[in-house]
Amino acid sequence: MFRFALASIVTGLLSCASAAGALAQSAPILPPYQGVYQPVGVDEIGIWQEDDEGERRLAASPLVIRDERLTSYVKDVLCSAVGEDRCSATRVYIMREPTFNATMSPNGTMRVFSGLLLRMRSEAELAAILGHEFGHFESRHSLNIFKSQRRGTDLLAWGALLASMSPSYDVRRNYRNLEISVYGNLFRYKRDQEREADTLGIVYLNNSNLRPQAASEVWQNLMGEIEASANSRGLSRPRFNAVAFTASHPPEGERAAYLSQLASPEGASRDDGAARYQEVLSTWLPMFLDDQIKLNDFGASEYIIESLARNGWTATLWFARGELYRTRGNQRDLVNAAQFYANAIGMDANLAEAYRGLGLSLLKTNNMTDGEAALRRYLELNPDADDAMMIRLMVPTENSQ
Amino acid sequence: MTIRNLSMSAVSAILVASLLPSPASAHGLREMGETVEVADSNMAVTPSRDWNRLSGNIGRRTETWTLDGGQLNDVTFYGGIEIGDPLVREQNRRQEPLPKFTETTLLIEIPELLEGTYRTYKSIGTFETLSAEPIRFLGHSGVLFTYEYTDVDELTRKGEARASIIDGELYMVTFDAPRLHYFEQVIGDFRALADSSRLE
Repeated sequence: MFRFALASIVTGLLSCASAAGALAQSAPILPPYQGVYQPVGVDEIGIWQEDDEGERRLAASPLVIRDERLTSYVKDVLCSAVGEDRCSATRVYIMREPTFNATMSPNGTMRVFSGLLLRMRSEAELAAILGHEFGHFESRHSLNIFKSQRRGTDLLAWGALLASMSPSYDVRRNYRNLEISVYGNLFRYKRDQEREADTLGIVYLNNSNLRPQAASEVWQNLMGEIEASANSRGLSRPRFNAVAFTASHPPEGERAAYLSQLASPEGASRDDGAARYQEVLSTWLPMFLDDQIKLNDFGASEYIIESLARNGWTATLWFARGELYRTRGNQRDLVNAAQFYANAIGMDANLAEAYRGLGLSLLKTNNMTDGEAALRRYLELNPDADDAMMIRLMVPTENSQ
Repeated sequence: MTIRNLSMSAVSAILVASLLPSPASAHGLREMGETVEVADSNMAVTPSRDWNRLSGNIGRRTETWTLDGGQLNDVTFYGGIEIGDPLVREQNRRQEPLPKFTETTLLIEIPELLEGTYRTYKSIGTFETLSAEPIRFLGHSGVLFTYEYTDVDELTRKGEARASIIDGELYMVTFDAPRLHYFEQVIGDFRALADSSRLE
């Protein structure tokens, strides 16, 4: 597994050597801001109209997390990366969706997924991703992709028509070749746009007060997570989904390498805002962790928890780890889970849910006395819990009292 | 000639028969007052109104009933899920494994089992258990729980379920419907149906 990751990084390094050379030259120049932009031409106006309609639906979606403090904080991080004038063109929506993603659509709608917020460890890391998405927006990539897809499919449609007029083996073979090269070009075009957005993202960071080296760390961390996920599922190789002809994003290894190269060296000593980030996220972290654990991806969840714990273990993280192990539910997991819950309780003696998990884990490993005691404590701390009636059934002495 | 004609008509008859939907796989009517076994198991119910049984199933030993279509009201029976099995069929065993019912699964953990299954199976990011309380189900101790989740169609659905573990097998019946209108409209019929369930 490690060998594969290494190989992919090396391949990435080799393949991007020439690209990185070009990128290194263009890195320090930030294009002048165009001001408030209005769509031009029938294609762009059409895309914006569709997008406006999409944003209207989004604003009413039950999946949007409506927390003004969190939303304005994420917007502030974006602004601190790209500058106040640029970021005034955007609206940020936080979506409850436990995957690593953020998108920005042509009219300036930014969707930030809760899974992304869970995986970031500092403002600088978040700013790197948001800056990348903003790069797509500023360079109007959606419009260009739309046009290139239309050109490509137009060409194929005409090709198919002409090929059908002369149905020989050679003509069919030439048509197949044309198909492959058109689709190949489309994927390459998308990869090039990703690289361009990466470059813009790192330029924003270089010009900000945040540490630009964080951009490379994001991708290294993501590779670690993908590898951990594949390992725990017994897959022969991780799903980097990136070395193939059809990948629409550059390989994570390549990204980590060129982002590290483009990051301004004098920025290395800057603040990365980790403490501020943790403080704001603290109220949401338990829910985001729970959403991740319930995805039933043990390896990735364990990696994320351990990665967050590099800044120090907290009761929330120990509790999440306990839940992760209890949910997998092998006997050895239950013993570990009980220990993790105990660690959480050691840091926060009033964490009711940790007593619940501890009690259930102990009962399942036949430690009835301690298990029942933990469940009783859970009921004391949270007598109105949604499962209180079920728990009361499991604690006989509680009934007789 | 006659023999050839006969054999050809036999072949075409077989072909036609194989193309027609077989009665076993078609949607079916479950009529009021008629006791039927469900989910390929010994669980039986006597509906207090007519229901539609949907063809196909989402897993071994499951069966789905509805009134207006699965998106609007969905009653799913799980008739004896065995130890080591997921609740529904895994779409991708390697990449997206589902949580399994194990010999250490407690009644109180069944809502978590359903939650983990739904999150992967339905690709949803939200699920909240609203309540869990003891109940008698199929003549055994069971759990009655309610939940809410937002599906990929961005409709918030409510659910109510009853489950029991009998001789190491999980029996459960769930009801899911959009929170707006449909849940309240049919919950009474579902409760009557669940009340009528028993083991044959």
